[in-house]
Amino acid sequence: MTNDLQLRIVIVDESPVRAAILSEGLKEAGYVNVLLMEGRHNLLERIYAIDPDVILIDLENPSRDVIEQMLHVSREVKRPVAMFVDQTDGQTIEQAIEAGVASYVVDGLRKDRVKPIVETTISRFRAFARLRAELEEAKSQLEERKVVDRAKGLLIKMKGITEEEAYSLLRRTAMNEKKRIVDIAQSIITAAELFK
Amino acid sequence: MKRLSMGFIPLTDAAVLIAAAERGFAMAEGIEIELHKEVSWANIRDKVNVGLLDGAHMLGPLAIASSLGLGHVRVPLVVPFALNLNGSAITLAKDIYAAMGETGADLSSAPAAAQALGQVVAARRARGEDPLTFAAVYSFSTHNYLIRHFLKAGGIDPDRDVRLVVIPPPFMAESLRNGLIHGFSVGSPWNSVAVDADVGRIAALGAEIFGWVPEKVLGVHARFANAEPEVLHRLVRALHAAAAWCEDPANHADLARLLSEPRHLSLPADVLRRTLDGRLNTAPGGALRAHPDYLVLHRDGANRPDPEHALWMYHQIVAAHQGEWAPDAAREAISVYRPDIFDAAVGATPPAPAHSPDCVATQFGPVFDPARFMETGE
Repeated sequence: MTNDLQLRIVIVDESPVRAAILSEGLKEAGYVNVLLMEGRHNLLERIYAIDPDVILIDLENPSRDVIEQMLHVSREVKRPVAMFVDQTDGQTIEQAIEAGVASYVVDGLRKDRVKPIVETTISRFRAFARLRAELEEAKSQLEERKVVDRAKGLLIKMKGITEEEAYSLLRRTAMNEKKRIVDIAQSIITAAELFK
Repeated sequence: MKRLSMGFIPLTDAAVLIAAAERGFAMAEGIEIELHKEVSWANIRDKVNVGLLDGAHMLGPLAIASSLGLGHVRVPLVVPFALNLNGSAITLAKDIYAAMGETGADLSSAPAAAQALGQVVAARRARGEDPLTFAAVYSFSTHNYLIRHFLKAGGIDPDRDVRLVVIPPPFMAESLRNGLIHGFSVGSPWNSVAVDADVGRIAALGAEIFGWVPEKVLGVHARFANAEPEVLHRLVRALHAAAAWCEDPANHADLARLLSEPRHLSLPADVLRRTLDGRLNTAPGGALRAHPDYLVLHRDGANRPDPEHALWMYHQIVAAHQGEWAPDAAREAISVYRPDIFDAAVGATPPAPAHSPDCVATQFGPVFDPARFMETGE
């Protein structure tokens, strides 16, 4: 196990935040040789120089085809590199691709030694995607609140009711029509635009 | 309406797939094609493998290599439709091209240009300079085999005398500019992009090396072909109709505009128009290099997958030391190409004209002999 923690791992990721999250995750798991690779310039030369055991790369990185050349041309490589997960491990490959990451390992490295690395990577990539989704959601919630506030303002003005009454009217209507409050609010704004 | 997710790489020869999705040809077959722009051939293969994509614009040799499990886990693919033939070119750095001109060779002839390049390589070696580096877009690609054939015609051993690397198409021109590479073999419009940026000169059109060579295909997972044959037939019919529309010069202006949109290729329409018309500037504002077969999208039975082309690609894979020769693998390669699905979908089409001296219309250098290859692996 201690030997496994010495494995040289290279991360190639266009997103510095995600790369940092992954690197941190691997270090927490005890891996000590984790290197982030930035930029595209001379990528292969730099990878050869490091001579990694494992390469992790994000799927939206155009350098994937460059790295795959190492799978096909062995002349210049110190040790041949292969795609992780063999034919029998379709599930891991599927999970990794869906999470947005591909991994390459040196040929001959036993699967069970690499599996924890790939699993950490998948879970960190998913965590990053969740984080981004939450951020998006927070943003859209803020937008929605603005829409509801505008609709409330319109109701207060047109019906001469209080803010609380305006909100409960919106909520009641939404419940009766089985719609979201923001949708009701949006239709009030649209209607008000039409009646202008 | 059946929805299909289809991947493509931003290249001119994604035209037929994009037109099928955006100009009503898929709709006419009751299909909605959702296009996904991808950044690497590896992604195309992997996403088709795990089912994130139903099919994709794919390099012919990639479809063969994936089905054989070369360089990667085995992904059984089916090719029922050829999206185009030809369409690439070899572009060299300006100084290399100038040095080739100084040999006195007639650079308008592709084999003479190859020999001039051979002299330049030999002269550099004699002076003790570093070997030249050339790039292709992917290891399993016609572009790689084109430049290997070209180099060999110039007496250059592609494995010893030069370095061959892989660079994604959008970074080719930049890599040529900063001296990382000295030339490349790539599909359109990236040669024209490098010429317009005045960093390279087109030395040979692909069609001047192989006159009728397989390029991109529709690749789908065998799982899809087996589970939904009827949907696949509809897709093939939609692509076939779209291909006829794309081939018609009357539609090239509209097609170039469609391809130039940011969600597709995001490149100037006039550059794309030149590649569709097969008229390429070899130097900025300079001489045109034109070829009627520069890019073939439909005519002369181009869309019907030719199993002999599949065998030729496997031959190239073996010749480039990317895979071992085995009669079983050869048969497997042939079976990736499925003219039977094409025929079932679009009905009988007029027989394609025969090409000489071999199935890819090799213009110079060694000729492909399928019988000999099946017998001896050479």
